[in-house]
Amino acid sequence: MTDLIQLLINGLAIGSVYALAAIGFVIVYSATGVVNFAAGQFVMFGTFAGVAMLLNAQLPWPVGYGAALLAMALFGALFFAVLYLPLRASPVVTIIIGTVAIGITMQNAALLAFGSWPFRLPSPLEGVNLTVAGATISAHAVAAVIVTALMVALLWLLFFRTSLGIGMRAVAQDIKAARLMGLKVNRLLALSWILAALLAGVAGLMLGPMWFADTSMGDPIALKAFAATIIGGFGSLPGAIVGGLFVGLSEVLGASYVSSAYKDLISFGIMILFLLVRPQGVFGERVQDRG
Amino acid sequence: MLLTDYHLRLVNLAVISAVAVIGLNFAFGYAGLISLGHAAFVGMGAYGVALLTTLLGWSSWLALPVAVAGTAVVAILIGVPLLRLKGHYLALATLGFNVSFSIVAANWIEVTGGTNGISRIPELQIAGHALSDERSYLWFALVVLAASAIVAALIHASRHGRAMIAVRDDETASSMTGIDVRRVKLAAFVLSSVYAAVAGGLFACHMRFISPEDFGYAHSITYLAMLVVGGEGSIVGAILGAMLVTFLPEWLRFLGPAYLAFFGLFVLAILIFLPSGLAGIRWPARLRRNGRMNIPGLLAASEEVRP
Amino acid sequence: MKMTRQEFLKTLLAATAMPWVGAARADQGSPVLVGATVPMTGPLSLTGKQYHNSLLMAEEDINKAGGINGRSLKIVFEDTQASNSTAVNAFVKLAQETKPSLFFLSSYSTQNLAVSPELKKVQVPAFYAGGADVVAEGGNEWMFRVRPADSVSAEGMVQCALNVLKAKKPGILYIQNDFGQGGAQTAAQRFEAAGVPVVGTGAYGQNDKDFSAQLLGLRSKGIDVLLIFNYPQDGALVLRQAKVLGLKMPLVTSSAALVPAALQLLSAADLDGVWGVVDTLIDPSVGGRMQDFVERFKAKFGTDPDPYGLAYYDGAMLAAEGLRKVGADPKALRDWFASVKGWQGIGHLYSYDSKGNGVFDLAIVKSKAGTKSLELVQTIKLN
Repeated sequence: MTDLIQLLINGLAIGSVYALAAIGFVIVYSATGVVNFAAGQFVMFGTFAGVAMLLNAQLPWPVGYGAALLAMALFGALFFAVLYLPLRASPVVTIIIGTVAIGITMQNAALLAFGSWPFRLPSPLEGVNLTVAGATISAHAVAAVIVTALMVALLWLLFFRTSLGIGMRAVAQDIKAARLMGLKVNRLLALSWILAALLAGVAGLMLGPMWFADTSMGDPIALKAFAATIIGGFGSLPGAIVGGLFVGLSEVLGASYVSSAYKDLISFGIMILFLLVRPQGVFGERVQDRG
Repeated sequence: MLLTDYHLRLVNLAVISAVAVIGLNFAFGYAGLISLGHAAFVGMGAYGVALLTTLLGWSSWLALPVAVAGTAVVAILIGVPLLRLKGHYLALATLGFNVSFSIVAANWIEVTGGTNGISRIPELQIAGHALSDERSYLWFALVVLAASAIVAALIHASRHGRAMIAVRDDETASSMTGIDVRRVKLAAFVLSSVYAAVAGGLFACHMRFISPEDFGYAHSITYLAMLVVGGEGSIVGAILGAMLVTFLPEWLRFLGPAYLAFFGLFVLAILIFLPSGLAGIRWPARLRRNGRMNIPGLLAASEEVRP
Repeated sequence: MKMTRQEFLKTLLAATAMPWVGAARADQGSPVLVGATVPMTGPLSLTGKQYHNSLLMAEEDINKAGGINGRSLKIVFEDTQASNSTAVNAFVKLAQETKPSLFFLSSYSTQNLAVSPELKKVQVPAFYAGGADVVAEGGNEWMFRVRPADSVSAEGMVQCALNVLKAKKPGILYIQNDFGQGGAQTAAQRFEAAGVPVVGTGAYGQNDKDFSAQLLGLRSKGIDVLLIFNYPQDGALVLRQAKVLGLKMPLVTSSAALVPAALQLLSAADLDGVWGVVDTLIDPSVGGRMQDFVERFKAKFGTDPDPYGLAYYDGAMLAAEGLRKVGADPKALRDWFASVKGWQGIGHLYSYDSKGNGVFDLAIVKSKAGTKSLELVQTIKLN
C-alpha cells in the first residue's frame, strides 16, 4: 500500500512536468496552428536559463528565476520573429520541419555554450523531504505540482478574464475575423509564443532539480508532451494537464505492474488507442474542425 | 568517376534515402498524408532482410521481396485504422507507431538482438560477384533508384496517381467523382511502405549491420525534411532533398563543433528562401538547354502537382 | 530580408564547395597520422569529450617525448554523433582523406559493430572501447579493445556481490541498451551458475527519469544486494532516488555512475552504501604516472579525467610504442599489437588475446563514509 502511494506521488510529480511542457505546446498550437517540434528544446532552454542565472551567474533565487524567465520571454519573441513570421504562410509540414531544424540548432548551441557535462540545478527546497503515509517525496516535487496548478489558474484568468487573453483566443479561432475586428494580430501571436516560452521556462526550472540537466534532454520530454496532448485533447488546456498526469502515472504504474522494459509502449499504445477511438481526446476539439 | 569511397558512400546513403523519400512522396506529396512513421517501415524492411539472411540463411534476393511483402501487410494492418485520422493526428499517431517499433526492436532480444542489433549481414551477390565495395554497390543502388523513380512517375501519370492528388486537394469533391477515398489513401500509404522496405533492405545490405537506433522516429522526421527541402509532390525533389540533407552535415564538418547548429540554420534558410524546395528552383536557361535537369516526365510531374 | 533566391543559392553553393577545395590539398606530409572517431555532439558527447581530451593530451605528451622516431604524431578527429551511420561516415572520411596509420573508435559497441566491416576493408588497426562481447566475437583481427569487455565487468560485479557483500538474494537493474542488456544477461547467468539465482530484475529506458517503480519492485522482492548497469547520468539519478526511497541494501554500480561527470551530481549522502566495479580507480594519491596524469589533465581541461578517457590515453601510448618499434605499416603494427603481453599502462595491464581483448582487471571500490571520494576495496583479475 505504501508502495502504491509512493508510485502515485512519483507519477504525479513527473506528470506535472509533462503537463507544463504540454501546455506550452498547446498554447502555440491553438493560437498559431503550429505543431512545435522544438517544444522539448524550449524546456531544455528553460533549464539552462536557470543554470546560467543560478549556477553560472550565482544570482539569488528570486532574481535568478526572474532573469531566467525574462530570458525565456525574449527567446519566445525571437523564435516568433525568426521562425514563425517568415514561415507563417507556408504549409503546415514546412513549419513543422522548420521547428525541427531550429530545434537541432538550439540543442547544439546549448552544447557549445554549456558543454556536455550534466548539471544539477539547485532548488530553494534542496534536500527537504516530506513523508506522507509512509511514502517519501521531495518538497521540490510537491512544489512542482503546486506551481503547475498555479500556472493553470493564471492562464485561465488570462484567457477568460482579461481583454488581452480574450483577444488571443479570438486570434486562435479566426485570424481574419480578429484582424477585421481591429485586433493587433501579430502582437497577439507573438504573445502566444512568449507565453509558450515562459511556460517551458517554468517547466525547465521545475524539472532541473528533480532530474539532471543536459543538452539532449529536450526530445524525450517533447515526445511525452505529444502523447499527453493527444490523450488530453489537442488544443485543450485542461486536456494537457489531464494528459500529462495520465502519461506520468501510466509510466510509473506500467513499469511497476506490467513490465519495466515495455512501459513506454503502454503510454504510446494508449495514445494510439485514443487516436482511434476518441481522437478528440478527453477534452479536445472536434477533429473535423481542424485538419 | 573520380569520387573517393567516402563520397561514394555518402552517395549510396543518399540514394538509399532517396528511394525511401520517393515512397514517402506517395503518402505525403501526393495523398497529403503526414506520416512520421516512415523509418519504422524502413526498419521492417531492413530487419526482415537481416533476419532472413542471418538466421535462416536465405539468399538476399529471396529475403528482400519477402521482407517487402511483410512490410506491406503490416502497412495495411495499421493503415486501415490509422488512416481515418487526418493532419497532425495522423502525424502523431504514426509517430507513436514509430516509437513503438523502436521499443519492440530494442527489447525483443531473442529475435532482433536488442540494442546490439544484427551484424554480419551477408553482402549482396550478383551472378557470383559480391557487391562489396562502395562503387559496385552504388551502380546497383542507382539502378534500384532509377527503377523506383520510373515506377513512381508512371504511377503519378496514371489514374491512380491523379486520384491520390485529387484526394489530397479535396476529399469531398473526389468522393463525389466516384473515387474511393479510403482505398486511395490506403494504396498511397502501402505503396510508400513498400518503397520504405526496399530502402531498408538496401540499407541492411549496404551497412551490413543494423540496430534499432537506425530507425528511430528522428529518422522519420529526417525523411520528411528531405521531401520538404527537395519539394513535396516531386520525384526530382525527393531525390535532390535526400542528396542535400545527407551531404549537408558532412560538408559542414569543417565548421568543427558548431556544424550541427549551422546545419539547422541552413535547413531553415532553405525553407524560408526556397518555399517550394530545391525542385522549385528555376534553373538558369543555359543549364536547362544542356538538358542536365531536363528529364521531361519527371520535371513535368514536379511542376504539375505544386500546391 | 532582401536576399534573392539566386543570391541565396550562390551563397549555398559557395559554402558547400569550400570543404571540397580544402580536401584537395590535404597534407600527406611528415607527421604520423592517427584517426579518431568519437561522439562530440549529441547525448553521447559526455563521454566523447573525455576521449577527445585524453587523446589530445596523449598527442602532446608523445610529441614532447620526441614523437615517433623524430616524426610528430597528429590525431585527426571526426564526430560520430549518437549515430551508427554517422560513425561509419566519419570513419570512411578519415580513412579516405587522412589515411591514418591507425584509428581510435568510440566506446559505443553499436558504432564499433557498424564500423567493423569498413575497417576490415581498409585494413588498419583500430583501438576501440565498446564493451559488448559480440564486437570481439565478430572476429575482426584489426580491432583491439582498450577497456574490459562488458562480460568482464559483469563478472566483476557478480564477484563483488557474492564474495565481498555475501549476497544471497541479488537483484539487477539495467539500462535498456547494448551495455545494460548484455551486462544483465551475463550477470544473471553467473549468479545462476554460483547457485545464487537473481530474485528480481528491472529495466529502464535511456531517457527515463523516474525509477521508483523499478526500485520499489526490487525491494519488495527482498533483494539484499542490487547490481546496477548504468550510464553516467541515469546512474547518478538511480543512486539518488534509491536514497530518497530509503533502500537500505548495498548498491553495486557499474563504472559509469562513478565517473566525475556523474559524481559531481551526487552528495556524500547519496553515495552512502554504494559500491562500484570500475574499470580502474582514478586515484592521484597512488602517485607516479597516475598522479601526474590526473593533475595535468585537470590543469589542462578543468575537469577530472575518468577511467574511459584514461583507457584512450593508455591506448595512445601503446600505439606510439608500436609505431616507434615497427613503423606505420598496418600489417606489422597489427601483428605487434596482437603480440602485446603485460604492457603496463596507467590504468591497466594490457595483454591481447586472439580476439583483441586486452584488459582483464577491474577495481572494486566503495565510497568512503561521509565523503564523495572512492576507496579501493580490491582489484580483481579475470580470465
